Amino acid sequence: MSIDFYWRLPTHGCHATIRRGSYDRGDWSPLKPGNQSPGLTPDGEDDGYRYIDHLAEIAKAAELSGFIGGLIPSFPNTDDPWTISPLLARETKTFRFMIAFQPGFLDPVHAARLSASLQRATGGRTVFNIITGGGGPSQLWWGDSFAHDDRYGRTTEFLDIFRGVWRGQPFDYDGRFYQVEGEHLSQLLAREEIPEIWFSGSSDAALQSAAKHADYYLSWLEPYAQITDKFARVKERTAELGGEQKCAIRVDLVARPTEEEAWHDIRIGFENVSDATRAQWRGQPTDSVGASRQAALRPTEAKRWEELVVGKNLWGGFNLLRGGPALGIVGSYEQCAEQLDELIRRGADAFILAGTPHLEEAYRIGEEVLPLLGRTAAVQPLLEAAE
Amino acid sequence: MTIKFYWRLDPAAEPQRGEPSARPTSGFLPRDVRTAGLTRYDYYAQVARAAAVTGFDGLFVAYRPESDDSQIVAASVARTAPRLLLVPEFPSTVGSAVYAAKEAVSFQRATHDRLGWALVGNADAEDAARTAEFLHVARGVHGTRPFDHEGEYFSVKGGGFQQPLANVPFPPVYLRGDDEEALERSARLADVHLLADAPFDELRSRIETLERLAIAAGREVAAGVVLTVTARESDEEAADAGGAGIAGSYDSVAERIATLYAAGITHFVLSASPSLEEAYRIGQFVLPRVRAALGGLRTAA
Repeated sequence: MSIDFYWRLPTHGCHATIRRGSYDRGDWSPLKPGNQSPGLTPDGEDDGYRYIDHLAEIAKAAELSGFIGGLIPSFPNTDDPWTISPLLARETKTFRFMIAFQPGFLDPVHAARLSASLQRATGGRTVFNIITGGGGPSQLWWGDSFAHDDRYGRTTEFLDIFRGVWRGQPFDYDGRFYQVEGEHLSQLLAREEIPEIWFSGSSDAALQSAAKHADYYLSWLEPYAQITDKFARVKERTAELGGEQKCAIRVDLVARPTEEEAWHDIRIGFENVSDATRAQWRGQPTDSVGASRQAALRPTEAKRWEELVVGKNLWGGFNLLRGGPALGIVGSYEQCAEQLDELIRRGADAFILAGTPHLEEAYRIGEEVLPLLGRTAAVQPLLEAAE
Repeated sequence: MTIKFYWRLDPAAEPQRGEPSARPTSGFLPRDVRTAGLTRYDYYAQVARAAAVTGFDGLFVAYRPESDDSQIVAASVARTAPRLLLVPEFPSTVGSAVYAAKEAVSFQRATHDRLGWALVGNADAEDAARTAEFLHVARGVHGTRPFDHEGEYFSVKGGGFQQPLANVPFPPVYLRGDDEEALERSARLADVHLLADAPFDELRSRIETLERLAIAAGREVAAGVVLTVTARESDEEAADAGGAGIAGSYDSVAERIATLYAAGITHFVLSASPSLEEAYRIGQFVLPRVRAALGGLRTAA
């Protein structure tokens, strides 16, 4: 039984340590001594390195330490995954580029051409994380004014066309959002595999769309009972349509040789969170159901780090330490592996892991945590069943 | 005015080069040890490096719906061909202007500002209108925050990039076309207007029109030309080669380019097939002759 583990390329900058929030890798904070990519020469000049050089290091680290690839997130203030992937294609060998992508931003036939070209550039290493939610002011920022449920309808049509033109035969489609006539990929491009599609979204509209087109249904980590229920519903819905849905979890880890060391880093990180950061994370409007579920943990209101311990080795304040979801796993290497085992038992077929700093933690988790998987009693029956 | 040379890579040309699917599968006696990992993208990278080492300033990548996408090709060669400006050609119908602007910002950040945009289309009225709005919105979110726009093709509310994505140079924009409408559009929107090759007087007249319209629009727009070149050691050999476009000896091709420069053209987008060998030939034998001739002109002046 094999589980796909992905890492993450932090396209919004990275920190040298989870203990402090200053983005000292990349240029999301003012350039100062000790900053990396760009850094300063001894004369105090910009050293010419750019953030892509650091992303290349992370991709290489993930590739060498056993991750299958990495998620490349896309937000208003990140570098763009469609640009990053071909820039790094030729200096990685096995690393899969999981492109976070909102269907409204590109014409579906063009997106199919881009994808097939990237498949050719990488030897089939393109993966899609299709995002449809989000909403609120940031959708209008992107120039997208579609209502929440309309966007899922559009995503479904987008993927209908994406798959339709890939067959290489003239393809017609008359949808609500898109109409195409006689479009298709050339033989050269159509011969490539359609990228695996990872799908996010917690609403009913999303689940319906996922059931039709997703290879993996991707969720942030949520309290275990909740995520177990969600995965069960997704798998059930897809089975009704005659398909089979794999499920995946995206989660940050703080893995250390001992549990005490892991919580020690969390404590220092929590104590360093500024009021400005709390204010920033408080009350950002969204119509994403997944984001609202995470906000219900209310980390911005916590006075002590212990208040945010929501279960064994689970901490709900990660969004105070870096951008992204609130809930993450904290513990010794063995405990982190046990938690991942437990999530596999509850229906996870794949993971996108992350840790700060992304470069060093790719090696740490790849070398120390992943080899410990599959040892707990909880997953033994699964392993035996798979044999 | 500095003269700029670009090599033009066509992803649909020389389709067998480096193409794994074109390799013989049987009846091939020499042992073939090329792995699946060796692909046509290795060829694209080699052409880009050839252009860089032979003294071109940039690389255009043609938009060919039947072959690899120009933006993917441009990004995939960027880190192996330092110094070159990379100019993918693409139509404004590929997607949202905001998204295109965001992709451009990342490209600029990663490559020390080496991206150019060559917008191409079918030159009908609708295409021209969409291209104009595409550039307006892309420049808008790029340079203004908050940026609002409610148009025919795009609408944005509260748009615009924050630090560190703000203040990245917008890619130089190359537009083309030979009629007055195209020149007028470029006067408002382009940094470089590319013309097709034509007799000297026609070119001269188009460039004058472009300059007049650009002055009226309060902008500066450079003129360029897209040329297919057949250059050989002698005029006879060039004639025998039967090539298209400007054909002749290295000296006569260089002379023709110098003449175009004298007419006011400063950007030259050159192409010939096969891309790799001809990049070396033209880079090594024609460009130095042009530069020497222009140096002579300056000295004489």
